[in-house]
Amino acid sequence: MMLGVLLAIPLVGAVLLWRAAGRVATALHALTAGLTLTAALAVSVEVNRGEPVAALDGFLRADVLSAWMIALIGIVGALAASEAPRYLAHTAPARFYSLFHLFVFTMLVAVSTDDVGLMWVAVEGTTLASVFLVNFEHTRASLEASYKYLLICSVGIAIAFLGTVLVYFAGIQQFNDEAHALRWTTLMRLAPGLAPRVIELAFVFLVVGYGTKAGLAPMHTWLPDAHSEAPPPVSALMSGVLLSVGVYAILRFKPAVDVAAGPGFARSILLALGLLSVAVAAAFLWTSSNYKRMLAYSSVEHIGLVCLGLGFGGALGTAGALLHIANHALAKSIVFLLSGRIRTAYGSAEIAAVGGLMRRMPRTGAPFLAAMLALIGLPPFGLFVSEVMILAAGFTQGFPLVVAFGGLLRGTHTILYGTPPREPAAEISGWGPAFPVAAALLLLLLTGLAWPPGLAGALDRIVAIVAP
Amino acid sequence: MTTTSNLLAFLGLVVTLLIVWRQSWPARLRLFGAQSLLLAVLASTIGMLAQRRGLLLVAAVFVVVKGWVIPRVLARIGAGAPVRSIAPGRSSGISLLVAGGLVVVAYVIMLPVTAAAELPTEGAIPLAFAIALIGLYLCVTGRDALGHILGFLVFENGIFGLAILATYGLPGIVEAGVFLDVLVIVLIMEAVVVQVRREHDSIDVDRLKELRG
Repeated sequence: MMLGVLLAIPLVGAVLLWRAAGRVATALHALTAGLTLTAALAVSVEVNRGEPVAALDGFLRADVLSAWMIALIGIVGALAASEAPRYLAHTAPARFYSLFHLFVFTMLVAVSTDDVGLMWVAVEGTTLASVFLVNFEHTRASLEASYKYLLICSVGIAIAFLGTVLVYFAGIQQFNDEAHALRWTTLMRLAPGLAPRVIELAFVFLVVGYGTKAGLAPMHTWLPDAHSEAPPPVSALMSGVLLSVGVYAILRFKPAVDVAAGPGFARSILLALGLLSVAVAAAFLWTSSNYKRMLAYSSVEHIGLVCLGLGFGGALGTAGALLHIANHALAKSIVFLLSGRIRTAYGSAEIAAVGGLMRRMPRTGAPFLAAMLALIGLPPFGLFVSEVMILAAGFTQGFPLVVAFGGLLRGTHTILYGTPPREPAAEISGWGPAFPVAAALLLLLLTGLAWPPGLAGALDRIVAIVAP
Repeated sequence: MTTTSNLLAFLGLVVTLLIVWRQSWPARLRLFGAQSLLLAVLASTIGMLAQRRGLLLVAAVFVVVKGWVIPRVLARIGAGAPVRSIAPGRSSGISLLVAGGLVVVAYVIMLPVTAAAELPTEGAIPLAFAIALIGLYLCVTGRDALGHILGFLVFENGIFGLAILATYGLPGIVEAGVFLDVLVIVLIMEAVVVQVRREHDSIDVDRLKELRG
């Protein structure tokens, strides 16, 4: 019931906002975002208190892993939504709000269904809902970015469909009820009997397909363009949660693959792609001259780290990866939102043009610095804890190599942000917009310093599902 | 059923190779329409022989979406584009060679699936996968937006064929999602291509190169 309400809110909001304009649109947008956040948190709490919730004959189903993602989408969605009116003050808001909530809706459906077929439809839906948002500014560059995004992600998702078909093929050999053979709960039950070679092949397709959406190298090429050209609230959503939805889709299949094909298979693929992503991102982080592109490559790096954590597996690696997804979502959405304000003030997205941020725009500069430090992986922020968890999981299995990459990245970030050139800024933003940013930073501090009650329990319960 | 499915899938592959070979856009578009019809016939044949009513419906929707609506949209996109987008002097010999190689690759990759399958249609599964691979190749090497879209659609057709042959049709919601999906992608592509043409006076995606690094 609650799950249905959660999905209905952004959908109804999107429909109503399609024709709304002016103040009505802004108010309706705020209401939709607020209600979505409330419902998302309510579902998460309900699931973590008891059993998974389901609706429509189990078609919609949220377990603790779904709840984790639902809460994240709710929180990042609200953060991004809070920035949207400020962004739209400089452009025409036509249909932006509607597509925004449609985008949130597709992501919520992807993580709260038991049917991996519907999950595929929803993940594809995220591309279709967001492609016009990427091209919202109608510049040459944003047009090119949206074309690349649509083409690469459509091909990627079609490959994931091939993987889904093969999973279904393996499933119906064991199980005659076609309507339920694509259910995740069924797959988990059937996993020991699924044809191992077919499942391996399917998993390769699934990882390549959903990995495209997640921004894993070498399928990441759409990501820096789309992230840097999209409006800031959309960049925050894409980087903060859309990539994680791709990871979530892979994560859903991993336990079944581990059982059907043995644990080594998924692990080696995830480790290879994770390492490659971190390495590629490190190389491009050195060379980016546009700060939004740099942030996009930083997303590739962090998704690579998440993938490494999932590859290392075990309780530590998996919990670290999940925590890292959450921390990255918070930190990255803060910097993307702030980068939008910086771009408005300076009129440029070049790193060289926006120096002296701390002096000119201290209310933007200080949280920007804090979130960047968090993204680099320094304490006291949550990303430090989750990175240490992932790296420790690697160490216990004899993978000290990763630390070298981590060190390299930290160096990169420091160089890029150590000595900003000084050029005058245009304006300083007020106190009003500070609240959502401060709230997100506070959450990051909490996951870094003192875990709120229930967080460790929630992670334990997810690990029990994903890495039993 | 084995003979029919093998024959239809093989014809589908031949049409795919013809798409690789031909360079004139209207001809490739007609070939794509023919391929879609072949796959619809394949779906309805399997639907009748294996007593799957649902597949008949799927075949009907497939004919409408991929045999009629999408070719029309593509024709609209292509109107005004030069008939041959490829630079003169470029032969399709190499492409055909690659496509032939991909057929072999498809057989190798699909070995685990054909080994696990106990279906009368299993022999045609690698053929469908070969169509998908060649479509992917066309998409990746496409010189303009039309080439990309066509490659993507052939890729989709191959996967559809594979799904029909290996599973006799997916659950309804997934099939519906796939159709909706392809349709929306093509419509969005049209919107994007129209805008590219307005901005750049051409649909040659080589001109889209502002975003690098």
